[in-house]
Amino acid sequence: MNTTPYIYTFLLAIISSCLIDNVVLSRFYGICPFIGVSKKVKSAFSMGVAVTFVIILAALICWPLYHFVLLPLQIPFMDILTYILVIASLVQIVGLFIKKFSAPLYQSFGIYLPLITTNCAVLGVVQTNTDTALSFGLSMANAIGTSLGFLLVIVLFSTMRERIEEYNGNKAFKGVPIALISAAILAMAFMGLMGIGAK
Amino acid sequence: MEYFLIAVYAFLILLGIGIILGVLLVLFSKIWEVKEDERIKEVEKMLPNFNCGACGKAGCHDMAVAIVKGEVSKLSQCKPGKKDKNYDPIIEYMSSHPDEDGTKHVPTI
Repeated sequence: MNTTPYIYTFLLAIISSCLIDNVVLSRFYGICPFIGVSKKVKSAFSMGVAVTFVIILAALICWPLYHFVLLPLQIPFMDILTYILVIASLVQIVGLFIKKFSAPLYQSFGIYLPLITTNCAVLGVVQTNTDTALSFGLSMANAIGTSLGFLLVIVLFSTMRERIEEYNGNKAFKGVPIALISAAILAMAFMGLMGIGAK
Repeated sequence: MEYFLIAVYAFLILLGIGIILGVLLVLFSKIWEVKEDERIKEVEKMLPNFNCGACGKAGCHDMAVAIVKGEVSKLSQCKPGKKDKNYDPIIEYMSSHPDEDGTKHVPTI
């Protein structure tokens, strides 16, 4: 008989999708903003928060939409189209909000803000939630964990990149090449977390 | 017949979601409206509006903002632009519409 308290499962799901099965470093979702907006810690953090907001809200809207609208009407094949519609509008709303309340931030995001729409991390989370038939609670745990993982990794990576920019190394490696190499090393470091909890 | 019904449902549901989200977007864009310099809109109309990005900006809107701010010195940055269609009207417009304090940002070709 399963006597594990629900809150334990919930927290474990968050940690699992945040650290062990990290969205960027082991599932390779959302690489575009990960490389694009990680030059400064501040804009990386804001990008992480924006993506977190979009992922959690998208999961919150899409799960009921799938289970209470698409499934009863027997049109579950329309899932990706519906999700993309919801995600695109959410991103637009977030964009409007940021443009209104923080113009410099809007500038620093540039093209990467509308590109959250095509950030596969967002669609990936929502799709995994319905494909693996998670309950509502667990799918929210998955969304929270994944977005926190994205936030954590993009901030970590941007601090690394700020240090690397100062270092006057080989000219050929400056900029994106060294960023890609350090991303690979960071991914290897996260590999160490794999298998936690497995018996 | 069943398949037809499913197709109709799919169409209606997507239409419904689209309309709801569209209305929400319009609402939010009205609530959080940002007032922009009117000249930006005018200059944007005079650009080719291909949004090709050849000028190095994110699109024609970005280029128009830069022109109005005076950050663009050479209009030939805009590769698909033509002299008589795009460059000349913008130069004319920018020289007849100075900033509020009177400074003019007139780009050259």
